[in-house]
Amino acid sequence: MKDKLIIAGKEFSSRLFIGTGKYASNKIMADSIEASGTQMVTVALRRVDIQNPQDNMLAAIDRKKYLLLPNTSGARNADEAVRLARLARAATEINWLKLEVTPDPYYLLPDPVETLKAAEILVKEGFIVLPYINADPVLAKKLQDIGTATVMPLASPIGSNQGLKTKAAIEIIIAQATVPVVVDAGLGMPSHAAEAMEMGADAVLINTAIATAGNPVKMAEAFKKAVQAGREAFEAGSSGVKNQADASSPLTGFLRD
Amino acid sequence: MAVLKINGEDKIFENSVPSTLKNLLELLKVDQTTVVAEVNGQIIPRGNFQNTVLRDGHKIELIRFVGGG
Repeated sequence: MKDKLIIAGKEFSSRLFIGTGKYASNKIMADSIEASGTQMVTVALRRVDIQNPQDNMLAAIDRKKYLLLPNTSGARNADEAVRLARLARAATEINWLKLEVTPDPYYLLPDPVETLKAAEILVKEGFIVLPYINADPVLAKKLQDIGTATVMPLASPIGSNQGLKTKAAIEIIIAQATVPVVVDAGLGMPSHAAEAMEMGADAVLINTAIATAGNPVKMAEAFKKAVQAGREAFEAGSSGVKNQADASSPLTGFLRD
Repeated sequence: MAVLKINGEDKIFENSVPSTLKNLLELLKVDQTTVVAEVNGQIIPRGNFQNTVLRDGHKIELIRFVGGG
């Protein structure tokens, strides 16, 4: 049986989601998305630049191949996030939404109180809500209980490439999850993504580590392989960690008297 | 003279404002298939751009997707 990820009834064969920020060009972005094998990409909403209204990154994304996941980045509280969510729905005519509420511009850490408040409103309005949260198991449980489609705990601050700093808390989130767990933010190298997948995360979301790599297309491919390897290792099951050696070669039949 | 507040900035029109949202978007050369519009805080569905009448003093937000994570 082929391993599938299912979010809100939709099947994904790729467990790697891609953010579209920070690419040097729309062409590099499109090529990186293609190389990653992803089926879902995040986008942000901003005001049209009236002086340069033609710039349209959406044209570079094949919406038949990739599900758009609009985010509420820039929202500092629940009201702003809900407003952005409604605008995103008007733009895409679909209900999928990455909910993020980040009042602090320095660490960009998500506000748990405002995120929960916005999620309650948006779930009631029929949105498929994928909330970006700190790796807080209590909050994750509250969100899944009110009907979010996933929980998306951060590995470390957005764009920091620090890797899985919140590992112990994410393990608890995975252990108690009733919805897919997507590790989002801070994964800087494919090994970080593999580690998250080996732990049993259902998917990872990568932006900065690919978009700002020396060769983004190659890095996208590397993340694709790492996510697959990590997932397969999780399914295979670890043989466990021991405190002492456990010989791989037989301990009998040595050539000595 | 008439004014529309577009994305937080006043845009002044010599005689009157464009009669509909569709006319405004054409004037600004904004792609109507990707833009999302709010008039006085109300989201206007794309199909209603043509019959959304604009008046002096209306506040308009024109929003679209950009790269983001």
